[in-house]
Amino acid sequence: MLELRGIQKHYYPGTAHELCLFDHFDFTVGDQEFVTVVGSNGSGKTSLLNMICGSIPVDLGQIFLRGKDITAMPEHRRLKFIGRVFQNPAMGTCSGMTLLENLSLADNKGKPFGLKKGIDAKRISRYREALRELNLGLEENLDIPVGALSGGQRQALALLMSTMTPIDFLILDEHTAALDPGTAERIMELTDKIVKEKGITTIMVTHNLRYAVEYGTRLVMMHQGKVVMDRSDREKEQLKIDDILDKFNEISMGYAKEQNLQKY
Amino acid sequence: MTDIIMGILEEGLTYAIMALGVYLTYRILNFPDLSVDGTFPLGGAVTAVLLQAGANPLLTLPVSFFAGAAAGMLTGLIHIKLRVRDLLSGIIMMTALYSLNLRIAGRANVPVFSRETIFDNAFLDKWVPAGVQPFLAVLFLFLIGMVMKRLLDWYLGTKSGFLLRAAGDNEALITSLAKDKGTVKIIGLSLSNAFVALSGCLYCQKSGFFEISTGTGTMVIGLASVIIGMKLFQKRTSVKATTAVIFGSIVYKTCVAAAISLGMAASDLKLITAVLFLLILAVSSGRKGKVTANA
Amino acid sequence: MKRMKQISAMLSALGLLLIAASGCTGKGAAAGKYAVGIAQYAEHGSLDNCRKGFLAGLAEEGFTEGKNLKVRYENAQADGGTANQIADSIAAGRTDLIAAIGTPMAQSAFRAAGKADIPVIYTAVNDPVAAELAREDGTPTGNVTGTSDRLPVEKQLEMIRTILPDAKKIGILYSTSEVNSISTVQEYRDAAPAHDFKIVESGISVAADIPLAADQLLAKVDCLCNLTDNTVVSSLPLILEKADRKGIPVFGSEIEQVKIGCLAAVGLDYYELGIQTGKMAARVLKGEAKAGEIPFKVCKEASFYGNTAAAKNLGISIPEELTGPAGEMFDRIEEHQGKS
Repeated sequence: MLELRGIQKHYYPGTAHELCLFDHFDFTVGDQEFVTVVGSNGSGKTSLLNMICGSIPVDLGQIFLRGKDITAMPEHRRLKFIGRVFQNPAMGTCSGMTLLENLSLADNKGKPFGLKKGIDAKRISRYREALRELNLGLEENLDIPVGALSGGQRQALALLMSTMTPIDFLILDEHTAALDPGTAERIMELTDKIVKEKGITTIMVTHNLRYAVEYGTRLVMMHQGKVVMDRSDREKEQLKIDDILDKFNEISMGYAKEQNLQKY
Repeated sequence: MTDIIMGILEEGLTYAIMALGVYLTYRILNFPDLSVDGTFPLGGAVTAVLLQAGANPLLTLPVSFFAGAAAGMLTGLIHIKLRVRDLLSGIIMMTALYSLNLRIAGRANVPVFSRETIFDNAFLDKWVPAGVQPFLAVLFLFLIGMVMKRLLDWYLGTKSGFLLRAAGDNEALITSLAKDKGTVKIIGLSLSNAFVALSGCLYCQKSGFFEISTGTGTMVIGLASVIIGMKLFQKRTSVKATTAVIFGSIVYKTCVAAAISLGMAASDLKLITAVLFLLILAVSSGRKGKVTANA
Repeated sequence: MKRMKQISAMLSALGLLLIAASGCTGKGAAAGKYAVGIAQYAEHGSLDNCRKGFLAGLAEEGFTEGKNLKVRYENAQADGGTANQIADSIAAGRTDLIAAIGTPMAQSAFRAAGKADIPVIYTAVNDPVAAELAREDGTPTGNVTGTSDRLPVEKQLEMIRTILPDAKKIGILYSTSEVNSISTVQEYRDAAPAHDFKIVESGISVAADIPLAADQLLAKVDCLCNLTDNTVVSSLPLILEKADRKGIPVFGSEIEQVKIGCLAAVGLDYYELGIQTGKMAARVLKGEAKAGEIPFKVCKEASFYGNTAAAKNLGISIPEELTGPAGEMFDRIEEHQGKS
């Protein structure tokens, strides 16, 4: 499904702060896999997502989606096949436009945005149905601006919008991090439901280890631009939060040791 | 009295079309576009030259419209393709248009008194009774203004218009929808400046001459109209934003007329206008405060 | 909410009152009383002198402000939109006559007054034909006439030749947005070869361009000739200072410019021009002729003005043949009055 081959990525090239984050990085995601990605800050999780989407360019290497080389494809063209939900609920919706308008926009993804009426009256009942499934009471409020919704409601809407049209790939960028625990839980359940129902290949970056363990079919831990732990299927099912924490400690100890060695 | 009101309406309705253009960039696209100071006289220059050449006055409307669209597109291209900041690309275009307008018009002041205009021509003289003649300009400007307002309302309701609104609201969503946000901005700037140039075209025909200096301060008038309109008319009722902008333009021109009528020293004219403007803003933001307090 | 409604109501009432009041001001054309609206395009020495002269001219003919003449004066501050509104406002006040000072103002007034059929008398319009206020033969295009402030270019060139027998290049600074300046520069260009001069011109678009343009121009020419360009005249002291430093003489084109330090000018006296215009207006008010029947006039009176203080600074002497009885000499450099 998705394959990153020999990726190299430097930050601040040519300056004293030059930082090599990825060096000969290879990564593959299989069809209908639901990968959860954990890792400390600066481990390269978000950079990985940004490289897949084309928000940042790679220095070297290739990215394939369904066997097609998309390395040189601009971001907005890649996103034809990719849906993305951000940490900030405001990023996935338009606050000044109504729910109906937002859904109509999302529904038209991949089709031309021409001079036809912005809202297709025939599809309103479908939108209402989709909203009902969120179980947030939004289906009665189609005409209120999205800016009036709560963060959780907006994030649910963003999730719905990004999966409305057929996509190959869903990217969840810490999409529950900005929500309160209760809401985060509901969004997570919703995510799982949508991903399973539609069978979308998904990568989810999260700081919540429990979500990483409970959801998905594969867990990946990243550190300094490398995959340091990769468990799928049965291995993943047996995985516990403590195992991950142990690994975390191991890595950071190693990191501290390295730092100390350098010091003396 | 009637004459004064007619004068205000003429000015207000002419500038309202420009204000609709500014509304599109400033409020919807969230792009402070200074090129309007150049595209307003561009419409006038194109119109004056066409009328001088004996063209049908009706032809000046679409030609100005498309001239403005082209200029707006250039502003957009400068911003997107050359990665120049929004404010700067507008300034660059405005500066370039100053010379370009002089080139098009041939000189800084081109009168068209003796030419047929859409407000004053043999056809109207023949068919419209003399009693109605003085109201013709207001009537025409009202009709053209309505058509342009409807056009803008319609466009903002299309899929393309939705995308434009989204671009001003949340650029990231445009990318998520697999659309190039640059293209959307260029379309918005073209449309906006087309409106502005059309307004300049009407202004030239109404005044009877093109004058290069008319462009100076267009952006300020547009902004004032948009803000007054939105503050004064949109908060209270379900008036559409575009309608509010048209009212805003008329109110702004009423302020200027009132300032003139106050008979203050000529040099204080701008100050009086500013104070009236401020008063409107203060009153309307006061209302907003009340509403939130009640809620 | 209630308070706000009150304020809005008060505001609208205020606005209506203002408009109503203005509607009344001009209606004073009772028996033996006359009302005149003066609309001036910009605030600036020459134009102000026009206005003062205009009132003096009217007074000479028996129309005195405050006695039998009611005057309403508005200034557009060089803003085209304001000029239009002022013209509308004055025309709506039913004055007996509109005096318009400056080309764009004259055009605005002509348009606004046309509807109400109020006569317009203009002044300080350089080229009434180009402005479509008059036809090629000098007859008006409507109920409008006045005076042109076309500069006596030939006489000015003769004068410069007399003072500077060896000069070759004359520099002219002008703004590309002022139609008067552009046509005057063209006149200079056409007339210069006959006097063995070459015109070096430099067009600017805003006042901020002047310092650079002046420096470049001063490096290339033997003297400067200043027009009546509104933008350039406002920055004349700056230009004079730069020219002084390089010892390059600057010629003016009207009396005010010589007062503030130009070496000399054969030029217009805008006050005189105003008087002439005022007398034309008086004929119209008295009913002797309609504005549409009077051809526009070009100010014939071109007098010589010289500044001996400026001459001394430059080490130049002004020949006696110029300073003769018709000339007016100033022996000091006045401070620039700026606007108004």
